[in-house]
Amino acid sequence: MIAQLIDAARRRADGGADALWRRVERTTVAFEWGRLKSAAATEEAGANLRVRHRGRVGVAGTTAVGGNEVGAQHAAPLLDRALASAELGEQSDLVFPAAGPLPPLTTCFDRAANASLDELIGIGRSLLARLEREGCRVNVAIERETTVTRVANSAGAGGEYRSTAFGVSADVWRIAGDDVLVVSDALEGADVPSDEALAALVASINARLDHALRVVASPEGTLPVVFTPAGLSALMLPVTQALSGKAVLQGISPLGAKVGQEVFDARFSITDDPLRIDRATSRPLDDECVPSRATCLVERGVVQRFIYDLETAARAKAESTGNGQRAIFGKPVPGYTNIVLNDGGAQHAAPRQLGGGLLEDIRDGLLVDELIGVGQGNVIGGAFSHPVALAYRIERGEVTGRVKDAAVAGNAYELWKRVAGFGADARWTGSRWAPSVLFEGVSVARR
Amino acid sequence: MIDRLTAALSRSRADYTEIRVERTWSTAVTFRGRRLESATASEDQGGFVRALHAGGGWGVASFTSLDRLDAMVARAGELSRAVPVDPPIRLGDVPTHQADALLDLDGDVRGVPIAEKKRLLEAYNGAMLGVSDRIVDTLAVYRDEVSEYWYVNSQGTILHELRPDVTLSGTAVARRDGTIEKGLESIGMRRGWRSVQDKAAGFRAVAERAVALLDAPMVKGGTYPVILDPQLAGVFIHEAFGHLSEADFVYENPQAREMMTLGRRFGKPVLNVGDNGVAPGLRGTLPFDDEGTATQDTTLIKDGILVGRLHSRETAAAMGERPTGNARAISFRHAPIVRMTNTYIAGAPPPGGGSFEDLIGDVKLGVYACGAFGGQTMLENFSFTAAYGRMIRDGQVAELVKDVVLAGNLFQTLDRIDHIAGDFRWNQMGGGCGKAGQFPLPVTEGAPHVRIEEALVGGDVAA
Repeated sequence: MIAQLIDAARRRADGGADALWRRVERTTVAFEWGRLKSAAATEEAGANLRVRHRGRVGVAGTTAVGGNEVGAQHAAPLLDRALASAELGEQSDLVFPAAGPLPPLTTCFDRAANASLDELIGIGRSLLARLEREGCRVNVAIERETTVTRVANSAGAGGEYRSTAFGVSADVWRIAGDDVLVVSDALEGADVPSDEALAALVASINARLDHALRVVASPEGTLPVVFTPAGLSALMLPVTQALSGKAVLQGISPLGAKVGQEVFDARFSITDDPLRIDRATSRPLDDECVPSRATCLVERGVVQRFIYDLETAARAKAESTGNGQRAIFGKPVPGYTNIVLNDGGAQHAAPRQLGGGLLEDIRDGLLVDELIGVGQGNVIGGAFSHPVALAYRIERGEVTGRVKDAAVAGNAYELWKRVAGFGADARWTGSRWAPSVLFEGVSVARR
Repeated sequence: MIDRLTAALSRSRADYTEIRVERTWSTAVTFRGRRLESATASEDQGGFVRALHAGGGWGVASFTSLDRLDAMVARAGELSRAVPVDPPIRLGDVPTHQADALLDLDGDVRGVPIAEKKRLLEAYNGAMLGVSDRIVDTLAVYRDEVSEYWYVNSQGTILHELRPDVTLSGTAVARRDGTIEKGLESIGMRRGWRSVQDKAAGFRAVAERAVALLDAPMVKGGTYPVILDPQLAGVFIHEAFGHLSEADFVYENPQAREMMTLGRRFGKPVLNVGDNGVAPGLRGTLPFDDEGTATQDTTLIKDGILVGRLHSRETAAAMGERPTGNARAISFRHAPIVRMTNTYIAGAPPPGGGSFEDLIGDVKLGVYACGAFGGQTMLENFSFTAAYGRMIRDGQVAELVKDVVLAGNLFQTLDRIDHIAGDFRWNQMGGGCGKAGQFPLPVTEGAPHVRIEEALVGGDVAA
């Protein structure tokens, strides 16, 4: 048991220890260019141990843990390496938390846990049949995963939970001459997606593909631009980076000194929520034994707080927000679980209208679904400039075709100060819940 | 280990089976500012099985517990049978190999105490911090690993290798009031401890540049003649062209196949591009790929014409071409897929090419784009962020500029490469390439200075 590892660590590390043990079992089927191509099984287990000794912290990870336990023969070398790491390690005042009540949360769904290979293949085939069209090629991947996580520390806190994840992704390729068009979508949840959710995925791809077949000239100038839930990444990334306690400690967060100030549109709120039902990233406690809770980071435009793990919290003289994330290798870091933009609400299963109802009043503008190069450069500064990968022209309230050679630019913090409208199409894109968002005055260049 | 693997192979009932086992020792040291963030040692191990039944698809199993070897060989066989594929998957013929290929470790990192690695990195980090009090933050990372690697397949190939990898990276952040600039140093080699000594100068240089960029103006957006330095030219050819030459993109996609037809002109006759998996000491270099195929130097563009592409055994068979030794996996957790190794634009010495001065001599107003903060390609469109740039005025390198973002269409841009210098060099950097969830794969790029007669430089799209 992981408890024995902690016991052994406690005897040799004067400042205590915590550990994570995780076992993942996964099945994947892949359809490549329209045909079933492979099936894969994965069994992986590993442990990560952190010790605090003489005021310094050390970390070690291993996959040499045996089948279902961290056996004594594996525990000793892992502990040796963690202590060696602590000899050089950084000084930290981090405190391992005492046991606290864990929130009730269902993380394991039987249908996903027990889904057979044939079921996965069946879902893939049904998607393929609905997505195939003349002149196009389709890739589909279906994945189910079961994970057992155990965490414990020397202060008596800990927990164990079994969780499931189920992912469906599809991309449709259309190459005509030198014009390459790819439209994709994915569902990531904790349970097998409903028929309605699969239908919505098909409808979302088909709608964007239909509109993309016609290529039109890009508008140019300072224009209204709608970012779809997927296209919103370039605007969300600077904000989420700036709301990380780690960036604040480094002195590079533009929001670091803005707690209590209204720096965003009064309709803009962001919450990190590890307790959402049916999300693969939800969990009852974080990877450092801190019970999960939703953390409101921006409320109605006002910066509330930042996310922390134990170590960054200790340095910032703050409390962990339960955002400690750790892999088998390396030390824990603060990380988001589910990022929820604005209220959250119920998940739509029915097909949604492209643009979420924001297009009506636009005389000439752009609808951006995907950009190239998001995450490159000085992201946290807020300035961005990206060519479009998938974008559409909006004229007199309607999508008139796909725009190829355009680039959009702006500053995320400036744009979030004045939002022209939030769409009625909020959905999950990966672990982010957001609607389409309309901004006036985004710079659009044609090349 | 080999006996254990061949015994497991003999029990497989599939028509083709391969097994890979890896055991990796690695250490990582990280400094942020003056703080040592972490110094850790890790041990990773596991296996991978891939099986093919006649008429079946790939059955794949990966695992961390080697006790499960036999069970996972059987599981891969079952999975292959469960996914019928028509037409069947075929594998291109390759010679079998039995080799004990222990690459030169150049100072085995496993014998160096972690405290010494910390001291080395501390010195390089100090070189960045010592440049100016404008340097408000640094990130310095040392990483090394040695992988012991075993590969067997049911056609008789048996390989045992030791694969070293060592990388250093440094980010220097300079700040004055609200302006933040950064400089990036990155070093990576498939070698060992000795190869990362005496590297302080490079770290100092990027910190000095970050400080200098605080005073540099943004480049004015527009269309210019652009000269790429060897580093950015290398990243460009990898990202913008290399990925399209990976045959898994084209082999079952008739339209893609047509776009990438051999014999198509991609550039002017001065353009020569290849991928070289056998160049000594580079991160993309290995004697064999992860299907046991010997690596090679593959010409992709010759005198401006597309002449080759990168293959796995499967894509080669499907296209009636020869395997090129480009089936690679980042670890036992993944199946081998078609990947680059060390991708290059060949240098063009005179009379066809020339020197850097020849490239800029007749440029009245242009941009010299240097280094790479990042690059992304989506099919035929790309966007690259240079680390910094210099204006070229009347044939001379002039003032420093920042926020140089190059964007464009691959086909147009390749065709606009009109001048290539003879000053080829490999960029021995860390980091790596990502594809299909497999990141980072060690690769290297190489190029000389390259001129694009006209390219769009973003940066300050008029607001």
